[in-house]
Amino acid sequence: MLGELFKGMRTTLRYIFRQPVTVQYPEVKRPVRERFRGRHELKRFANGQERCIGCSLCAAACPADAILVVPAENDPASPRSPGERYAATYEINMLRCIFCGYCEDACPTNAIVLEHQYELSFYDRKAAIYTQDMLLVPKDKGHGEIPPLLQQMNRRPSPPAQIDL
Amino acid sequence: MPDITLTVDGVAVTVPAGTNIVDAARMVNTSIPVFCYHPRLKPAGMCRMCLVQVGTPRIDPATRQVVLDEGGRPVIAMMPKLQTGCTTPVSEGMVVKTVSDEVKSAQRGVLEFLLTSHPLDCPVCDKGGECPLQNLTMGWGPGSSRFEYNDKVHFEKPVALGDLIYLDRERCILCARCVRFQDEVADDQVLGFDNRGRNWMIISKSDPPFDSKFSGNTTDICPVGALTSSDFRFKARAWELQSKPAVCTLCPVGCNISLDMRHDKLMRVMPRENAAVNDIWICDKGRFGHRFIESGERLTTPLVRRGGRLEPASWAEATRLVAEKLAAIQSRAGGAAIGGLASPRLSNEDLYAFQKLFREQLGSGNLDHTIGAPGETAADDLGATLGVGAGTNLMQLGKGAAVLVLGADPEEEAPLYMLRLRGIAQRGGALVVAGLRPTKLERSATSRLRYRAGGELMFVRGLLKAAYEATGTTRLAVRNSGLEELRAMLNKLSVADAAAACGVSEADLRATAKTFLDADHGVIVYGSEARSAGPALAQDLAALAMLAGKAGRANSGLLALLPGGNSRGALDMGLRPDARPGYAATPSRSMGAREMWAAGAGRLRALWVAGLDPAASLPAARAAIDAAEFVVVQDMFLTATAQLADVVLPAASVAEREGSYTNAERRVQRSRQAAHPLGESRPDWQIVQGVGQALAEMAIAGVWNTKDANAKGAKGANLKDANAKGAKGAKGGSAVAVADAPGWDYLTAGELAAEIAERVPGYAGITYAALSATGSGGQWGRQVNEAIFYDGTSYENTEGVGIQCPSLAEATRAVFSLAPRPAPATVATAERPLLLLAQPLAYDGDPLLRGGKLAAHVPAAYVALSQEDAARQGIRAGDEVRLVSAVGEVRLPARVVADLPQGVVVVPANLSDADLAAVQTGPRTYVMVMM
Repeated sequence: MLGELFKGMRTTLRYIFRQPVTVQYPEVKRPVRERFRGRHELKRFANGQERCIGCSLCAAACPADAILVVPAENDPASPRSPGERYAATYEINMLRCIFCGYCEDACPTNAIVLEHQYELSFYDRKAAIYTQDMLLVPKDKGHGEIPPLLQQMNRRPSPPAQIDL
Repeated sequence: MPDITLTVDGVAVTVPAGTNIVDAARMVNTSIPVFCYHPRLKPAGMCRMCLVQVGTPRIDPATRQVVLDEGGRPVIAMMPKLQTGCTTPVSEGMVVKTVSDEVKSAQRGVLEFLLTSHPLDCPVCDKGGECPLQNLTMGWGPGSSRFEYNDKVHFEKPVALGDLIYLDRERCILCARCVRFQDEVADDQVLGFDNRGRNWMIISKSDPPFDSKFSGNTTDICPVGALTSSDFRFKARAWELQSKPAVCTLCPVGCNISLDMRHDKLMRVMPRENAAVNDIWICDKGRFGHRFIESGERLTTPLVRRGGRLEPASWAEATRLVAEKLAAIQSRAGGAAIGGLASPRLSNEDLYAFQKLFREQLGSGNLDHTIGAPGETAADDLGATLGVGAGTNLMQLGKGAAVLVLGADPEEEAPLYMLRLRGIAQRGGALVVAGLRPTKLERSATSRLRYRAGGELMFVRGLLKAAYEATGTTRLAVRNSGLEELRAMLNKLSVADAAAACGVSEADLRATAKTFLDADHGVIVYGSEARSAGPALAQDLAALAMLAGKAGRANSGLLALLPGGNSRGALDMGLRPDARPGYAATPSRSMGAREMWAAGAGRLRALWVAGLDPAASLPAARAAIDAAEFVVVQDMFLTATAQLADVVLPAASVAEREGSYTNAERRVQRSRQAAHPLGESRPDWQIVQGVGQALAEMAIAGVWNTKDANAKGAKGANLKDANAKGAKGAKGGSAVAVADAPGWDYLTAGELAAEIAERVPGYAGITYAALSATGSGGQWGRQVNEAIFYDGTSYENTEGVGIQCPSLAEATRAVFSLAPRPAPATVATAERPLLLLAQPLAYDGDPLLRGGKLAAHVPAAYVALSQEDAARQGIRAGDEVRLVSAVGEVRLPARVVADLPQGVVVVPANLSDADLAAVQTGPRTYVMVMM
């Protein structure tokens, strides 16, 4: 009886001097993997235009029906995105989202990216709906990877062409 | 036609001669991919997608016999190159291979070639998700592209072909479906090709651009996203839409439409296939004219007048107020002091409930479905009594059919009928278009006749005489009366005299009569211009149909184009002062709209207006409404009449409720609810039912002592009659309407429809369940994979094609009069020599068009003059002229029209800036024109 207690205390004593595996969250945050799928971000182009063209393919791909897109036509004088169409409303219901990343796969312009932010908690259901304002990155950063179609443009400096998406 | 047997991929199929390979293959469920071919258009062979291997039996040139091999089978000589399936007609013993390596390679090549100039911007394309190019690329195309984005042709993004249709030139694959649709089906040859090679593109040739009432259909048949509608531009993706089956109520055709909804909002309107009504087309008014549903001006709550102002109130309060006031007036002055007007756009259920409340509870027969404008024509019974018979399908008519279109402009009055009638002529039927002035349908006619102003009656009598001379009364099959009077009239007339009087040659009259007599099926279509000539003309048309044996059976009879989407339903439901539902004449005539305005305050004390706006255009109506003690208006909008009302009740729009509608051919069709009613608005029948319930409760509680009907003399007889025959617990006698108070316990519109089926003659069996039957799918029958080529997510009709009511000549034992009626008295005088015609327009001042894309298409008012009349008065185009009649005058800018006959001036009807009511004395008014 006393032997077992001593045995247990010895293990405790041994671990006291080791580096702990736990971290002091929230003061300390554990880094996530490169391909971790956290909160979505809507990226921009380097010139500040939104990448999202409001095509709704993310919403179509979403197995949880968490995404709502309402498209609208760009004002040619001050377009919000390249081409004719942009997302007038873009909302993700984080309570529904299962972070599968299909939206990212479906996106033709690499606009939606599941980033590394994982602190998603809400006091009410309404707050779980992330709107476009919350999802869009600031104009000056987070431009992300250029979509494949546009990479083609860089590869071939041949005839002048506009980017129509 | 002889049948031909051929083999498609080893399967034998027998099809009529003249069928092309694509259609023959469809019969055995073999898909040959196509872009430019469309079953409703002539093949063009432009896209080369339908290339197949074709072989025919080898013929020995010496003996002209098929060469047989050792096994006794014919030797097949394959053609050296691939053939286009859409342009190659089948022949006996033909062998078609659609899946060989050669064909596959050709299909892949064609698709790759089409995609060389296609931007592949599917994510932002409105067609994405219902695009044949997407589908065929996935099914038949190469897996990847050898072309880089930069190598493709690029054009500036959309060019507006018109304000309704946008063209994206880089998406266009130049299949010419749109051009061919406009040329062949719509007869508006406004599209064409421009340039060549890589710059080959579709352009609009007309001014204003893309000037066609059917332009929206080009977006449906476009196999890529090149043509998109400005109305649905970037509104939603095709797969996000929920298609709700509905019926268009904007004109008497009753086209089947799908309301494509997303989040309870209308995204777009698409046609729904119905071979008997609209095939797969709809007009632009139906497609773009439904934006009123989501107008910001809609009423959302009942309004009650308090202290001179209309203020929001609860339904309970408003309903109780209406019931109390109506009951009070009814007890004091009798039902004859209460009038009811209901719009011919309401559903049959609404109209039936409305007249039931009036006839059975309030004891009033003062009902009408028009506003009583002076230009309105008398109620048209013949379109139902001798209407086209049950089983009529204009799409089946062709060779052996004769259609006489008299005084109608189908393109403006009922646009889809223009396509249907044109189709009959294209299939080999005779299409005789007779009228005063040029119409677009004339261009498709096999014979076109123009009678002179005021000559239409003699024109028809000439035809009648010619028909009588040819066959006498041998073909008279319908139970009839008045033959002697008709004989007397015809004996006094000779065809030559009639020809001289109407300005059409005798030979033409006789030829037309012969065409009509010789045809197996004969349809007489008459529109506003003919109806304005008075009931004498319609009566003679009925006599012509009866004499020629073209009445009371399928595909033969009269077809009246009436204003309003459900005028025929309103007449069937008895929304008129002189007949109860089913054209059962009442013993005495009550007040119609016109009589109400003339009646004065003493006789019209209360008025209930549903969906009409008489005060907007008629000063007399405004005065009568002002003078009435109590006015209820139920409408979607706060109209001019509603602003004068004591109680305004918000009605749900056609998309927000169920209902059935009767079209000009008397086909009853069911429209489903697509959205929730806006605000607190309710379907019209529910509003009526609420008041009916309140009245019944008051009667039971003894609060309402109904005025004894007999005390009101003639009007009372009416009430008594209604009680005796109409109500559920028919006790008869003059006791009180209350005794027979109908039970207002309908839970759904379907229950009302069931009661209509039970009570209204001709509507037997037309229940909601029966209306849901779809019958045959259409011209070709529908194949499993058809949408891949012919596109349009909403074409297929799965929700019912409707039921056509039999005409009264078929359904009842009624006797129809042949006796001619006296010709109308109004004739031109030296003082007022010109005949004023109000021309109905598809895009008129209808308040429902406000806020939509079509508002810009509503013309400013004008008066059209013939060149001779203009020259005589020295009037030039653009001058403002005065139109003076016996009762008033109106000032309008003049247009001088080359093709208008002398003696006629035309003013578009129902435009807010032309006060026609001020000059018209009747449907036909003689005027003088002055500078």
